[in-house]
Formats: sequence, C-alpha cells, structure tokens
Amino acid sequence: MNIPERLLTRLCVEDFIFREAALLDAWEIDAWLALFAEDGSYEVTPPGVDGPDEISRETVYFLIGDDRKRLEHRISRLSKPNAHVESPRSKVRHVYSNVVVAEDGGGEVTAYANFITFRTKRGTIEYFGRIRFVLARMGDGFMIRNKRVMMDIDALVPQGKVSILL
Amino acid sequence: MGWDQPYESRFLSVDPAAQRFRVSRKCFADAAVFEEEKRKILYKSWLYLCHESEVAKVNDFFVREILDKELLVTRDAAGVNVFYNTCTHRGALLCRNKAGNRKAFGCPYHGWTFAPSGRVLTRNAEVGYRADVDADGAYSLVRVPRLEKRAGFYFINFDPDAISLDEFLGDAGDRIDILNEHTTDGLEVIGYHEYSINGNYKLMCENSYDGYHLMPTHASYFAYQKAMLEGLPQQAPGGFAISLTHGHAAVETDIVSGRPIAQWLPVWGEHARELIEARKVELEARLGATRAAQLGQTNRLMVIFPNTVMNDQQSIQIRSVLPVGYDKMITRAWLLGPKNEDKELRRVRLEGALSFLGPGGFATPDDIEMLELCQRGYAMGGVQWNDLSKGFEAGEETARSTSFWNNELHLRAYWTQYDKMMSA
Repeated sequence: MNIPERLLTRLCVEDFIFREAALLDAWEIDAWLALFAEDGSYEVTPPGVDGPDEISRETVYFLIGDDRKRLEHRISRLSKPNAHVESPRSKVRHVYSNVVVAEDGGGEVTAYANFITFRTKRGTIEYFGRIRFVLARMGDGFMIRNKRVMMDIDALVPQGKVSILL
Repeated sequence: MGWDQPYESRFLSVDPAAQRFRVSRKCFADAAVFEEEKRKILYKSWLYLCHESEVAKVNDFFVREILDKELLVTRDAAGVNVFYNTCTHRGALLCRNKAGNRKAFGCPYHGWTFAPSGRVLTRNAEVGYRADVDADGAYSLVRVPRLEKRAGFYFINFDPDAISLDEFLGDAGDRIDILNEHTTDGLEVIGYHEYSINGNYKLMCENSYDGYHLMPTHASYFAYQKAMLEGLPQQAPGGFAISLTHGHAAVETDIVSGRPIAQWLPVWGEHARELIEARKVELEARLGATRAAQLGQTNRLMVIFPNTVMNDQQSIQIRSVLPVGYDKMITRAWLLGPKNEDKELRRVRLEGALSFLGPGGFATPDDIEMLELCQRGYAMGGVQWNDLSKGFEAGEETARSTSFWNNELHLRAYWTQYDKMMSA
C-alpha cells in the first residue's frame, strides 16, 4: 500500500507528541525539557484572548511565556520540594487528538492537536483546547521549537492556576 | 485609637499586655458571618470597578460581575456610566457581549434599545407608548448608586449614603496618585488574568501584602530571582508596613526584582539598561528625587479595604478579590503600564510580571496552594483562632502607624476595621 507523504508526516508528529505527553504524565520533566531546541519556547496564552495563534508574548500578558532559559528554571523549580503547589505532586494525564499538520517545509513542521489534560490533587480539574507544535526536524525525529497551549476557557475558573506542565 | 486595653468580640481577641492579637476563623468559614459581612461591609464599601483605559473611547463598553450583580459599564459623551445589566422592561440580561464599542444596546426579548447613556431609544408613540416615554428617565437603565474615580481608577459603592471615595481612601489616596505618576501619558491596562481559588476572599487580601510569607512560601521563586539578579549588588531589603485610615494599609520595601522603571536586570540586555536609566532620569527631573525614589525605587503592596489590591512591583498590578461564597473566590488581576511605552520596556515589563505574578508564574500558584490549605484548616473546625501578633506591642496605633515590613501591623489594621464594621 502506498501511504501519502502527508500521512507519514502526521504519523511521525503523533509518535513524537504522544511520547512527549507520556513524559509529562510520568513527571519525567528533565527528559521533557531535553525535547526543546536551544531556541525553543513553551507558552500558554491568556484565556479569553482573541486570536491566540497570532499574538506575541512581547506585547500580550500570557499565562506562561517561557524561553528556553526560563523553562529550565521552571523545571528546576518544579523539581524542588518547596514548589509547594506540586509537592506532593499531582497526578497528570494528557490526551492529544485530532492531530493536523498545517505546514511542512524548510526542516520545520507546524502541527495542531486538540487536548484535554486532567490534574488530580484534592479533586480533579481539566484543561482543554488546542496546542500548536512547531517542530524542527532532527534526523529521524524532532526538537520542539514552540509549544503553544491555547485553552478554550474564558478564565481559570474553576482551574484556578496552571501549576503543571500542559 | 491605640491597643492598650484587652478586647474581645465575636471576631477578635486582643491582649496587649501579652502582645497577642487573634482573629476568629469564623471570619473565613461561616456562611452566616459571610452573609452579615456582605450586608455590613461589601455592600457599604468602595469596590474597584475598572481603570479608565478600559472605556477610553465614547461608546466603549464592557460587562463585569461584582458580588451578586452583573454590571454594564459604558462611556458616552458625558463620561463613564455603570448600570445593572438588566432590561428595564422585563428584566432580561441586556448586553451579552463581554466588551466592545457600541452605539446602542438592544434587548433580545422585546427589542427595547438603550443608548450608552442609559436612555431608552426606541419606545415611543409609534409602537404604543406615549411620546417621549423616557422623558423623566423612568425607563432608563438603572445606575449603581455611586461611581467615583481617583487618578483614573474607578470605584463603585452600592450604598447611596456612603462617604465619598476620596474621604474613604484617606491616606491611601496619595499612594494611588503616585501610580498615575509613572508617566505623563497616563496608564493603560496591558493584560488580565482571572482565576478562582477555593478559599475565603480575605485570605487573598492578606496574602497580597503579607511580607512574612515571602521566604517560606516562595523560596523556589527567590532561587530563580537570585539567578536573575546575578551581577547586581544584593542585600536584604529594608522597608516598612504602614497602616493607613479606614483599614487600608501598605507595605513598602526596597525593590527586590527587575522593574522597567528603575531596576534593570542583566538578562534584559544593554538596550533595556539604557532605556531604564533614561526613565530614572526623567522621573527625577519631573518629580524630584524624593518622589521619584518613592515611585521608582520602592516595591509597594497596598490593600484598599476590603478587597482591592493595588501593587507596584515588577509592574503595576490591580487585583479585585471577589467572594463567590464564604469559601470560594475569584481574583481578577489587571496588569498596567504607561501608555506609549517603549516596545523594549513593555517586553521586559511583561517578562518580569510573568515570572512572578499570575496563575502560571513561579509564585502565585504556591500562594493559591497556601490559601486553599488554610481554608481546609478552617473548615475542619475545632480550632478557634488565627494569630496575627508578629510585631505587636501594647499601645500600637491601628492607623497611621509603622512597623518593620514583615511584621503584621497592616493585617491588624485590616482586621480592626473589619471588626469595627461587623460589630456596628
């Protein structure tokens, strides 16, 4: 059977992001950090904002807007017992679906996935919406250039906070 | 008034000789107390509504829920209006959009239409009413009893007989004015976060200017901060807590982090350094050295009793802390900065704010965790008192008094005002 190139790309992206999610679910956060390119960034756009795909953290007040350096600090903080909100750690489960490759060229793939992430600690909360991955092709695999989480909520009610990695 | 005699009420237990000041946990965890508090405090105090930049142009509007009310805030040619967002005909919620710019608001039920001034536009003799049906304003949208502003910040009061906003703010007023002196162009809202917490709203008010919790709760943030400050002289910040009038209070310390107005961080780069130094020179030339230092070199945390937080740290942040019930709150937090701010300074302002403040930052999630742990501690019952005795000495004045910044003087001022209004 002849599988079109487009589908192969999607399969490769899915394989990569499913593994990415598995690291987060297992709290293997150092290994997760290692998936990010040197110029990689991790962002969570503010709930209720118009056009979350278009905005920049240089002009808009994001919920999270980490360049690689600050992401390292975020991981380092979350690794300490005095990061009280995640100490003891919550249980986390990421579910990715509806993966669509939007652009593929120049050694870079942009893909979107719908997501639901559950966090359980004294009750369960859900985060949901869409994630944009900008992935740099590296040999057989990828490095993350940008992971942008865009939630379909108007406010962090009842979620309250984003203390886990989405 | 000064604390020189023992005092007991439903809410406070004060023993100056023993240097003990305690607050009943009923204030956080009792539904009946909360209902009484709504009546005696929340519906009688000045509550934060918005900054003028949120309705900057004629016909700008937004909808905002405050306590049990949904309010429609508009600007017409004459100024800012705040109405109950309900059609005066049969009561449907009138405006269903969150914000925008609009010349008229149509009710979806029977088609009544209102101008941003609140006047009825379309009900007249042609459709079965007497001509000029709203001549006496009887059909106009109904206003919240009081709306007043200070330095561009609007407050409302549901009590028509309340004292004026300026009188209520008292000594706190100047500390609002100074926020507006960051720039001659005026401030604007840059961003907004809204998040819920399973705790009584007063927990967040206490937390917002509590210096004492900083090191234990935020050690993991300060480890990050230390890395950011590398290469700059570091010392433990000096400063003070000050109780103002009417239960308002502030904590003012030396700055401990980057600020796009006076404190540069090496990670921001050389270009930002030049811009920040130029801002400092401009401030001193415009305001004089003393006021410029008070504005630029001071980390200021302030709570306007009972639920407005006006902080000037990494950036200006206003919080309106709203109860949803006695054990649940919603915090709304607006980030403000100068209009027409240099792009680079705006970028570092956002960076500084993002890392510390906000429900995805390195500090606020741990605060939220602490507040929820407190609420759970109160909910179990069996223990009557919280202690707020740090730095308490016999004869302490409840207003216009100062103490070291990580003492609890300002929290005692808050609770003294609370007790006064609840015991009235």
